[in-house]
Amino acid sequence: MSKSGSDIVANVSIESSQREALAQRVLAMSPADRTEVLVSTADAALTRFTHEVSNQNLAAANVEISVRAIVDRRTGVAQTNRLDDDSLRATVERAVEMAKLSPPDPLTPDLPNAPTGAAVDGAYDAATAGADAGVRAELCAPVFAAAESAGCWSAGFASTSRSGLTVANTSGGLASFDGTDAALNIKMTATDSTGFAESYAASVGTIDPSAVARAAVDKARGTAAPSGVEPGDWTVVLEPAAFGELLIYLASHFSAQSFDDGSSFFSDGLDRAYFSERFTLFDDFAHPLAPGMPFDFEAQPTQRLPLVENGVVRSIVTDSYYAKKLGRENTGHALPAPNAYGPQARNLVVAGGPKTTQQLIAETKRGLLVSRFWYIRTVDRKRAIVTGMTRDGTFAIEDGRVTHGVRNLRFNVGIVDLLGACEFSSEQRRTGSYHYSLVSPAAKFERFKFTSTTDF
Amino acid sequence: MEFEAAAARALDTASARGADYADARVEVERAERIEVRNGVVATLSDATSTGMGVRALVDGAWGFAASSDLSDAGIDAAASRAVDIARASAAIARRRVGMPPSRAYVDEFVALVRRDPQDVPLGDRVALLLEAERALHGPSAIAVGRAWLDVWRTDKYFFSTIGSRIAQRLRQTGSGIEAMAVGDGDVQIRTYPGDVGLYQSGGWEIVEAARLVEEAPRIAREASELLRAPQCPSGTFDVILGSSQMSLQIHESCGHPAELDRVMGWEANFSGTSFLEIQQLGKLKYGSDLVTIEIDNTLERGMATVGYDDEGTRSIRSDIVRDGVLAGYEMSNDTARAIGRESNACVRAAGWTSVPMIRMCNLTLKPGDVPFEHLFDDVADGIYMESNRSWSIDDRRLNFQFGCEMAWEIKNGKRGRLLKNPTYGGVTPQFWNSCDAIGDAKSWFPWGTPNCGKGEPMQTGRTTQAAAPARFRNVEVGVGYRG
Repeated sequence: MSKSGSDIVANVSIESSQREALAQRVLAMSPADRTEVLVSTADAALTRFTHEVSNQNLAAANVEISVRAIVDRRTGVAQTNRLDDDSLRATVERAVEMAKLSPPDPLTPDLPNAPTGAAVDGAYDAATAGADAGVRAELCAPVFAAAESAGCWSAGFASTSRSGLTVANTSGGLASFDGTDAALNIKMTATDSTGFAESYAASVGTIDPSAVARAAVDKARGTAAPSGVEPGDWTVVLEPAAFGELLIYLASHFSAQSFDDGSSFFSDGLDRAYFSERFTLFDDFAHPLAPGMPFDFEAQPTQRLPLVENGVVRSIVTDSYYAKKLGRENTGHALPAPNAYGPQARNLVVAGGPKTTQQLIAETKRGLLVSRFWYIRTVDRKRAIVTGMTRDGTFAIEDGRVTHGVRNLRFNVGIVDLLGACEFSSEQRRTGSYHYSLVSPAAKFERFKFTSTTDF
Repeated sequence: MEFEAAAARALDTASARGADYADARVEVERAERIEVRNGVVATLSDATSTGMGVRALVDGAWGFAASSDLSDAGIDAAASRAVDIARASAAIARRRVGMPPSRAYVDEFVALVRRDPQDVPLGDRVALLLEAERALHGPSAIAVGRAWLDVWRTDKYFFSTIGSRIAQRLRQTGSGIEAMAVGDGDVQIRTYPGDVGLYQSGGWEIVEAARLVEEAPRIAREASELLRAPQCPSGTFDVILGSSQMSLQIHESCGHPAELDRVMGWEANFSGTSFLEIQQLGKLKYGSDLVTIEIDNTLERGMATVGYDDEGTRSIRSDIVRDGVLAGYEMSNDTARAIGRESNACVRAAGWTSVPMIRMCNLTLKPGDVPFEHLFDDVADGIYMESNRSWSIDDRRLNFQFGCEMAWEIKNGKRGRLLKNPTYGGVTPQFWNSCDAIGDAKSWFPWGTPNCGKGEPMQTGRTTQAAAPARFRNVEVGVGYRG
């Protein structure tokens, strides 16, 4: 792995102690009743490629300061990325000015000051933090070679990033977190078929680019000369990337805001069985496959919560505002202020089942194996009905064996209904995208409704 | 010109480090958002962000680096990093794809603003939204009311080693309201104007045109009525789409597939590819003869309106579809030259942190000659749909399914009952070829889209689709709720 001196940008790669000092400096400038400061740093780099050429190769480094000022239970937020005293003071004054123009909200909460837990092991990797474009090129090279030897072309990205966050407030709350992330995400295109594979980790050294490339090639080859199948109700085995993408459309239902306003599917009550007893879902920032931040954007310690236990909905996630409004405990799931979307579960983990993915396939007489989905959108919010497409590796299962590729299909399914009859594999994987990350096994459903087909 | 010295330092550093070409783009962005939710000001924020993005070309490969650190050391580091990244790209590339722009410009562009939002006291801006949101709470079924305002100010400075020096002042404003009705195990939402609010290039005049306070009672009433409305039927119907839904239809089924980077596989792993293949240019019957769709980044109120794109190419008008036939693409320098054309200035970055890439432009569907009310005349059994609620299309942009917030049945040329949960689907060229009437210029409107996603890492772009309502024959309706 190579590293050049210029690939670390001065002044934006500040350590947590520097962020904390900066936050305290800003807090001292504020005349507001209560003030919260977020100092976030990001140094993110990504090599994007297509046809064995890097078509976009980029890095961006930034430091942002966000000030939440509360005056007479009125709130204003202002942000800047200029770090000189004049800019910081002007940002504080702007936040205070905005707060004074907002009507008072009696539910404005006190700012948290609970002690936060230690960072999770494995969330930060120094080699990943220092990785440069050469490291990403070394991830790409085996992918290009695999594509060429297989007669495919590749598209995708290799990324490395480091990020830091400090939250401090005038109630004494203080929390800092440093994390790294790396990803290799590939689509291989063959003559008339495509295949997908991905790998995500906090440490770039744990990503095996040859293995990821081989998996994508195998899928592309395995779906060569795809045949058409009729739409209708199918037994499906969804690989983790596919099930994870579906599940993310259920996540916002567990927000206290959705629960409170009636748009969640379980707004009628907790502690009821809405799903099969085989379905258990956690929000867990400490899972070893996806170690995350142990506190939220208000510096409140984040709880590791069972959202669904054996089909029974057990928990909603809260922040300081909704904890006060609903008279519930603050579970530490606030997003950065200002936030009109309410608290959110950010670290979903689906419990595995007793069987391997191969067993789930072997027990399928006639069905489809889906690698991933594309463009899922909510059709009906309350019933959690979504539509979307299969993509990059959809296979027929016949008499317990994966036999051949099939052309892509559109589905329309109600996620809550779907999870009424399900099985999960024992193998969990981290999957995700830019806007989410979760840990999921493969999932099997008996009646998955496909409504139309494509010619590819 | 502001930031000239900083940019010159970046370009000099990049050149000294071996760049064959480099450009530096400094942006000063200020974003104000106000959002009222159920009587509470949930968001009152003002964010400023300043930084520089440097693009370097080395041996036919690009590198991009951006930094908020505009000290000499920070600029040197960013420019050097861009060159190092370009060199790393070149080391693994199987061929050279990058070429410098052929023409330099020295110019300024200022977006048309009739009234600067800054001239309206912040307290008045907040008060307007509080009043509009309050007006949503007439019907008892309204569980959530929302009203919002976005004001975006971007000052952009572009410099290049071939001599471009371009300053642009861009101003965009948007506002909207939304009512969520809850009852009988159902949730229905109405949004106004359009499906995301009214977003255009300009100032406070855009907010005034939205008439949020005046329209709020109607929007709340419609949301409440939708709870009791019958389900939109499933089957094959003639369909009339309102102009904001036409905007979405153009965006998803024409604007994205006509991005030439997508056609060439540059977006294959994420946004996908396109059915508008290069060999189809000038041949593919994309739509009926009525369908002409142009790129126009000079459109007065367009969200993508700029004087120059982020490669320094001057905005022009050009065709995507002319009289139903595929006529062109949204292009960058590199992609255009690959097919023997010149860029039509369709490259933008989401901000200084983002690499410039092909983004959807302002697209205009040429209006027809049918007054809106007469679109219904020739429909015996149909559905009229308005205001988008869901959108999904495959990764070649063929198989689509869209849903709207509301619909009305059409019987023998007359608009009838309100219907809820309408969805429709189809395959893009078949759908556009079934278009047999487009509304006239009176019903034509430029709808802004403030939240267009593309790229890895994801960039959120802003664009506009201008359209009149239009009629389509034999459309599959109700798939999303069938069975």
